[in-house]
Amino acid sequence: MKTNEGSKKLVLDAGIYSGEAVKLAAFVFSDKADIRIVPRGKVLEVSISAEDAGRASGGSEGQNSSSIMPLLGAEFMNEVLNQQCRIDLAKKNSKIAGIIVTKALLSAAGEK
Amino acid sequence: MAQKQAAKKTDKSMALPSKRSPAGKTAKSRSVLPQALWRKIGANYLLTNDSGHYAWLKEKDFALVTAGKMTERDPLFGELAAKGFVRNRLDFNDLASKWKKKNSYLYYGPSLHILVLTLRCNHKCLYCQSAAGGAGAKHTDMTAEIARKSVDLAFNSPNPAITIEFQGGEPLLNWEVLKSAAAYARKKAKITGKELQLALVSNFSLMNAEKAEFLLRHEVSICTSLDGPRALHDKNRVCASGSSYADTVKWIKYFQARHEKQVPEYRVFKPSALLTVSRYSLRSHKEIVDEYVRLGLEDIFIRPLAPIGYAKRLWDTIGYDAKDFAAFYFKSLDYILKLNKRGVVIKEKMAAMMLDKIVNFRDPGYLDARCPCGAAIGQLAYNYNGDIYTCDEGRMVGWEGDDLFRIGNVFKDGYKKLMTCPTTKVCVVSSNLEAQPACARCAYKPYCGVCPVYNYETQGSLWGNMPANDRCGLFKGIFDALFTLLRDPGKAAILKKWVAK
Repeated sequence: MKTNEGSKKLVLDAGIYSGEAVKLAAFVFSDKADIRIVPRGKVLEVSISAEDAGRASGGSEGQNSSSIMPLLGAEFMNEVLNQQCRIDLAKKNSKIAGIIVTKALLSAAGEK
Repeated sequence: MAQKQAAKKTDKSMALPSKRSPAGKTAKSRSVLPQALWRKIGANYLLTNDSGHYAWLKEKDFALVTAGKMTERDPLFGELAAKGFVRNRLDFNDLASKWKKKNSYLYYGPSLHILVLTLRCNHKCLYCQSAAGGAGAKHTDMTAEIARKSVDLAFNSPNPAITIEFQGGEPLLNWEVLKSAAAYARKKAKITGKELQLALVSNFSLMNAEKAEFLLRHEVSICTSLDGPRALHDKNRVCASGSSYADTVKWIKYFQARHEKQVPEYRVFKPSALLTVSRYSLRSHKEIVDEYVRLGLEDIFIRPLAPIGYAKRLWDTIGYDAKDFAAFYFKSLDYILKLNKRGVVIKEKMAAMMLDKIVNFRDPGYLDARCPCGAAIGQLAYNYNGDIYTCDEGRMVGWEGDDLFRIGNVFKDGYKKLMTCPTTKVCVVSSNLEAQPACARCAYKPYCGVCPVYNYETQGSLWGNMPANDRCGLFKGIFDALFTLLRDPGKAAILKKWVAK
């Protein structure tokens, strides 16, 4: 993990984290920071930059970027992990999850 | 980094892996568990399964069970088998019927229809989530036509029993529309044969004998807010005219007196009250419960604050974390049980609803804790201007300028379109616990639910991230408290009485 003033670079093992999980996490972060994802062989390089890192991490405006960016990077990694777990779970549970969702929506719409 | 951070937040609950009996081994020598969920509470393990059964295991028994070494001779075997925890002893019909009963909401459409009659309010509560405007903001009054259209839509729900709840702001500020909507809904119920409940949530500051009489005659159930003794109530519920407490108490007593003197022409419901816990409440659990008892209220609904609306802006002053709420909740429940032991009649509503699932395998109709959540498919919020939202919380997000949870308008959209629109679908999908990584393995999954609006507001996505989600922490605290109390036979007997009907 490399940190510069106002930006952060992460290198993720593509064998553990799928591009989909990283993209979903980037979407969750889209109102906090600019995320750039570059696939490089077996890794995914992610650059996170925020104009005001303090505000992006929920702290106060103008807070020191060098102390905030590692936190923002860690938050992003947690979100990637969250999304990856969700995708992995869907592979196992999608049948039962689909049955529940279908039943709930059909009943609400008045269909048997 | 991510793995390390996640490990720090690792919860004490998870799912047990299913194990298969090795060939040739008999059930007598080796019993195995089907999919079960567990959580360590203190020195013991709580086991649950999808049908809603639960069992407690000591550490050594848990080790036996997970190793597949518990035999039929073990005193616990019979209990675990009867509750669906032993693979070769599953009574599928019984387990399925319990699951279906507990999740019966999956077979109906929205039951709760919230009509936001106005955004005007004469209170300025610290934690308001209702986007209340000043008493002069008449442009935020719902018209009679919009109210009629909203009632029409509500009656299109396939649910045979619906509740229409009049809310605000302060709904009594738009009295004429409330009156016409209530009368229209009653008429419509007679024609359609639907079971209709009418409900009003009011601060009572504008209540008078004439309004009360109309509400009683139309069998409108009455609910207000009561945050505790006068000083605490008035601190949370700031009222321009002085004390909010005086009116609240006066009208609670009035409606209680009317309830006691039932008349043959109509049913009079007991008035109820809601408690919203702010940081100022945390040290006063006894005083708050005592106030409810003193007023003869038999239910207290201890509701945590959510960082939505005004409360979000004041969170540093009035908010708290999940741990603080859990401690307050446990102390309050424990105190209520002590009072019950002395013969005082009072119960906590959130606990009662959860207990209904845990003890009776019944759906208590609690829209905030079910899978999927009640957004759109369990409730609809009709805003003053005719816009329809998935729920009241979704409407609040709309008021803040983000209409993500708006699913239609009473003039433009039919009922079916509301139920099949992308927002409805995405709320259902994202609040499905089977698709939530932490929830799918949580011991409280059979009784719990997530809120996409809360997740969106606090964590930036409809899915949220449960290990870091404060609402998840709040619910875990509530369930920990309940299951801990259920372990004590004396307290369990009282708690079970709360949901004995």
